[in-house]
Amino acid sequence: MQVTLESFDQWQVIRVSGQVDSKTVGDLRDFIDTQLKQGHPVALELTEVPFMSSAGLRTLLTLQRKTKDMGVDLALIGVAEEIADTMKVTGFYQFFTIHASLEAIPNP
Amino acid sequence: MDLERIDNLPTDTLSGFRVRPGKPLPFGVSSVPGGLNFSVYTSAGTSCTLVLFSRSEEAPLGEIRIPDHYRIGDVYSIVVYDLDYEDVEYGFRIDGPFSPEEGHRFNPENVLMDPYARVLSGREEWGVEPDWSKQYQYRSRVAFDDFDWEGDSPLEINDADLVIYEMHVRSFTKSETSGVKFKGTYAGITEKIPYLQELGVNAVELMPVFEFDEFENSRIHPDTGERLFNYWGYSTVAFFAPKAGFAASGKFGMQVDEFKQLVKELHKAGIEVILDVVFNHTAEGNERGPSISFKGLDNKIYYMLTPEGYYFNFSGTGNTLNCNNPVVRNLVLDCLRYWASEYHIDGFRFDLASILGRDPWGAPLSNPPLLESLAFDPILSSCKLIAEAWDAGGLYQVGTFPAFGRWSEWNGKYRDTARKYLKGDEGQVGEMAQRVQGSPDLYQWNGRSPATSINFITCHDGFTLADLLSFNHKHNEANGENNCDGGDDNHSWNCGAEGWTDDIGIRNLRTKQSMNALSMLMTSRGTPMVLMGDEFGRSQHGNNNAYCIDSPISWVDWSLLESNSILYKFTQALISFRHQHPCLRVNRFDHGGSKSLPSCSFHGTTPWQVNWSADSRQLAWLMTCDQEDSGIMDAVYVATNMAHYATWFDLPEIPSDYSWQLCFNTGDSQSPYLNPPPTFNDHGILVGERSVVIFQVSPRET
Repeated sequence: MQVTLESFDQWQVIRVSGQVDSKTVGDLRDFIDTQLKQGHPVALELTEVPFMSSAGLRTLLTLQRKTKDMGVDLALIGVAEEIADTMKVTGFYQFFTIHASLEAIPNP
Repeated sequence: MDLERIDNLPTDTLSGFRVRPGKPLPFGVSSVPGGLNFSVYTSAGTSCTLVLFSRSEEAPLGEIRIPDHYRIGDVYSIVVYDLDYEDVEYGFRIDGPFSPEEGHRFNPENVLMDPYARVLSGREEWGVEPDWSKQYQYRSRVAFDDFDWEGDSPLEINDADLVIYEMHVRSFTKSETSGVKFKGTYAGITEKIPYLQELGVNAVELMPVFEFDEFENSRIHPDTGERLFNYWGYSTVAFFAPKAGFAASGKFGMQVDEFKQLVKELHKAGIEVILDVVFNHTAEGNERGPSISFKGLDNKIYYMLTPEGYYFNFSGTGNTLNCNNPVVRNLVLDCLRYWASEYHIDGFRFDLASILGRDPWGAPLSNPPLLESLAFDPILSSCKLIAEAWDAGGLYQVGTFPAFGRWSEWNGKYRDTARKYLKGDEGQVGEMAQRVQGSPDLYQWNGRSPATSINFITCHDGFTLADLLSFNHKHNEANGENNCDGGDDNHSWNCGAEGWTDDIGIRNLRTKQSMNALSMLMTSRGTPMVLMGDEFGRSQHGNNNAYCIDSPISWVDWSLLESNSILYKFTQALISFRHQHPCLRVNRFDHGGSKSLPSCSFHGTTPWQVNWSADSRQLAWLMTCDQEDSGIMDAVYVATNMAHYATWFDLPEIPSDYSWQLCFNTGDSQSPYLNPPPTFNDHGILVGERSVVIFQVSPRET
């Protein structure tokens, strides 16, 4: 799994590629804990993520709590259908704003 | 001050794992800072080894023989650090004597499932044949149990106000006709919540959802070649784990979250969740069955054994859990507390509950400690406790189940009486009058209330309502047992032809009889329960014991909702009518009624005069109360005519400031329910052959 930080308009974009599971999720969590800047909305780019385990999905919820505390928006981008289905049936989905691509984020 | 605890640190390294002595409670696995605490009980075992696996790997990651000084009493516990919670699977090897005649069946070659396991792997996807060559079949895993309930808590609806809907998780939405995305799963039920709300039920009772193995005793039908399953799941593998094969997310191990999401969404819709729980026996069978967990942990403690070490079989399924042993009793209590607190479950229905009242040698106890503990438990205090008050060993306790003021019962006598009265049997009027008012003959003498009685005419066991009216005899050939399985005392009547017919007269009679049955059920005091799909004529083609059938025979066919829409709308109107009328939900036998009329009175074709003789097939009841807020009288009058000819009923007199309104008339096939109900100024009504009419009163406008 690779994690990089980019920017898109005012958004700070965490681009993840590869599988997010208990083996890799620690890296993502560390990245979120250390790399996020205050004051900018956060987009998590997941287009290149084919699978997320329970631990991965829980990290999304942690990130959701964290951005709420920071007072910034969070958007998930390009969530694979199977991951979205799992999020829907387990109730995770309702906590997020989800867009197909960065370009699809509506202007404020 | 954030002070790190010194017991967060490992004290030993064993088999390459950093460990320390654990805490004996809670049993099972729990997370501690940096590690996982494992705790397991064995009284006769002589040593315990914790076996750790990486997910789905056949060979263990490692084995840790738990040092004897880590044991306190009969409990081995150990904290293991640095484990990957999500990946790790575990089990135990217990050494000890193998001497079945003394009750011991230890075998350290076996890896045993944790009886407190909250998540299992090994049966993640329904119907995928397991690899039987694997030594460890049902693998214990670690649950996160961190669900975001967003303020949800159990609904605590009054027992008397419930309308229960019994369903099988897979059957409810497995059919293509269900129209849901996640067919046959917990999530599928979540998708159907708007339907349940529209129908008006406020509780669902789910047939077993604790992990079971659909492949237990699975076999191929000798004639059709179809696979027959342990479909209903009345055979528990793991009491603390929801069935993964019922979860769309089961293959990702997220069944815990998916099930909690279902409960949360049902609660949002005002619908309680009752679980059908099976504590009378386990999936380990008798001496020929597999050793999954209890057998190898402490056989003699967990099972009722004959003096020769064989298994008592009060459950009819091979073994009997020794529920009144204090250790087993605590396991049951821990389990229900877990489901009530962690899953927000509103109630439990206990399969063959009479077994839970037997002593370790099988004799019925007068004050069974398990039933008492459940009744007075602090966490379960507002949970519904519902007994199936009989067992397969001949104990029949409807009316005498040790209730401790808390337990209600599936009222099998309501079912039988209503069925006999419905088909016009002789000599039923007197008993029907008892059933309609909440069965005071069963529950008043011992200080219980009408809602003690769960009234039902059909349930998963036996015919569906449509089949009750379409078959004189069971037709269980699909079960592969030459039609020998299933009950023969169905009290059913096919209305003139066995099975499907194109005779319009017979078909109309069946629809009318369905409406008659539901009318009686919804206007009886007590708590009504309906079986999934009965509201639109679901059929199992005469199969009255479809416990092994995973096919459209068992699955709800949602296309019937359209073809039988009049029955559906009628049922919906009836349920709504019940919710509107407190007089139908009075929960006291000594209730005083309204200012001018008694709480419950019985009538015949002439008011206040019932023909109680054996050949009478007419009975009417009038229920009343004064509404708490307004003081306005609520009254419902139901006249039933189960004879094959129409009969005139004079209406009872009511105070002059009220008038009657006719709400239902099953004899009117065009408009069996009337909304809004017209004011009825006649002094009586001709009730058609095999028909029911229902009136309410309304204050006259002044």
